[in-house]
Amino acid sequence: MAETSSSSRSSSNGSPMTNITQDHLFAILLLLPIDSILSFAMTCKRFRALASSDALWESISRRDWGPNSVDALKKSSNLLFQHQQQQLPWMRLYKHVSQLDSVSLHKLTYPDTHLALPRPRASHSLNFVSDYLVLFGGGCEGGRHLDDTWVAYIGKDFQKILNWQKVNSGIPSGRFGHTCVVICDFLVLFGGINDNGSRQNDTWVGQLTCHETLGISLSWRLLDVGSVAPPARGAHAACSIDNRLMLVHGGIGLNGLRMGDTWVLELTENFCSGEWREILTCPSPAARSGHSLTCIEGTKIVLFGGRGLGYEVLNDVWVLDISESYLNWVQILYELPNIPEGVSLPRVGHSATVILGGRVLIYGGEDSQRHKRDDFWVLDISANPSITVQPSTLNSARLLAKMWKRLKAIGHKPKCRSFHRACTDDSGRYLYVFGGMVDCLVQPAESTGLGFDGELFLVELLLQL
Amino acid sequence: MSSSKSNKIVKLESSDNKTFEVEEAVAVQSETLKNMVDDGCANDTIPLPNVNGKILEMVLGWCKKHVDETVTGDELNKYEADFLDLDQADLYGLLMAANFLNVKGLLDRVLQRVADMIKGKKPEEIRRIFNIKNDFTPEEEEEIRLENAWAFD
Repeated sequence: MAETSSSSRSSSNGSPMTNITQDHLFAILLLLPIDSILSFAMTCKRFRALASSDALWESISRRDWGPNSVDALKKSSNLLFQHQQQQLPWMRLYKHVSQLDSVSLHKLTYPDTHLALPRPRASHSLNFVSDYLVLFGGGCEGGRHLDDTWVAYIGKDFQKILNWQKVNSGIPSGRFGHTCVVICDFLVLFGGINDNGSRQNDTWVGQLTCHETLGISLSWRLLDVGSVAPPARGAHAACSIDNRLMLVHGGIGLNGLRMGDTWVLELTENFCSGEWREILTCPSPAARSGHSLTCIEGTKIVLFGGRGLGYEVLNDVWVLDISESYLNWVQILYELPNIPEGVSLPRVGHSATVILGGRVLIYGGEDSQRHKRDDFWVLDISANPSITVQPSTLNSARLLAKMWKRLKAIGHKPKCRSFHRACTDDSGRYLYVFGGMVDCLVQPAESTGLGFDGELFLVELLLQL
Repeated sequence: MSSSKSNKIVKLESSDNKTFEVEEAVAVQSETLKNMVDDGCANDTIPLPNVNGKILEMVLGWCKKHVDETVTGDELNKYEADFLDLDQADLYGLLMAANFLNVKGLLDRVLQRVADMIKGKKPEEIRRIFNIKNDFTPEEEEEIRLENAWAFD
């Protein structure tokens, strides 16, 4: 290790940077945004080699995507099989995740058995927890509600054949338009509408248990929340926030009116009880239903779309950062005409899920022309600090251009749908979609031509590895 | 530590034979020195052959500031910012000393300082600041620039 001499001597001897150990250099690079890391890599051959280390890029991926995605990717044996090596090509993987432009769809075929399958439905809940897909409730023909819980084992690799198993019925009571989120390994279900039109505001906690002999079971219990709870509602939006919080916004309330309130549920450590409190902010997103809430970067909640008070379909994007001391909904303004095909962006009944790389994947839903869609969009708000004024500089316009990206979809072509549900596995690379409302070619008994779909399919992020 | 309030003095000697005497409370800001004190090895002068006097004085100044209860949060922030306004030779000397002496917070601050010198800069600027020789041919440079274009939007 070189001892420091006088400053004039070391600067004429070449770069003092060469005295820094690799560990310290990696620590410094990990403090930098990607473009600065690559700028540094472009200075000379030695630093290019160092900054291309896959060990470094694994740390960068861990930093930017979170440890869960990275650990899940490492365990995913199909990626390793492709490369027959111990180390994933992290630098290349990071680049391809950032540049994601296509998805590949796969029909998940059902095995040839006499086992029952979940009936076609919409406005149900679909979650991935403890290696299982969990489906609950929803609405079906005749406007009837469902009260069944189904699970399907997924495991670490995506499988093209899935076995659905019915594990519960009757509890919670039948409903559709409820929300269900995953917090740690628990499912937290809230609200919904039953087929009498009654809106609920009860909160349920579900836990999967795998018995050696008895197989898989799921127990639901009513959560004790004390005297304060949000007004009853359905078609609201909810998302879990990192630790023990759930955020709920809007929906259609008791008198059929759309609401624009924001509530947070905080659960105790053992998930036996919880406390609701309302978050009052000004400004706040207008009242709406059929919109989406997604949590990115651990603390930022992104709200998109929905149907407003005047029955119009919305396309506004709002962000709330739960880590700030004063909670605020901030709108991210953008111009539809500036986005290619952006005219179709107002959406209701779409699905919004966080995918590998930390951005939001928006799929399907109904547009402002009352057409159901089948397109995929990636919403990226990371480039924008909260822009609350009309973008006037060229730089802002460029940042906003990165905000929406339409993806190409190859492979299986499912029907356009709305009020379907979607969730990813731990890696964030695979998205499972089930159900929804689709247009029927053959007119059913109702004159609307609407059908409920019972298809389960997989959306794979194409990463060209 | 039961002896934290004692006025025990710790003696240190730099690589260029300069001696420094500091209170134990100041010295134990360094985890390395704290381990020595806890193990009872700090009774005689502790030699530090990899840290020169100039750098050691800086490190001890940092440690002193951090145990001084009269210093406010704002004053400390300003002190830390001014402290790292150094030429590069001193900066790297400080990095190695902070690493060896394991002074909490100081190593992180130095690493952040170096990162701030790189952040947002183009390769030519980084080369100039750190006196890095460009050993790429113009063709190689262009090839890398295209390869990395995806990150610069």
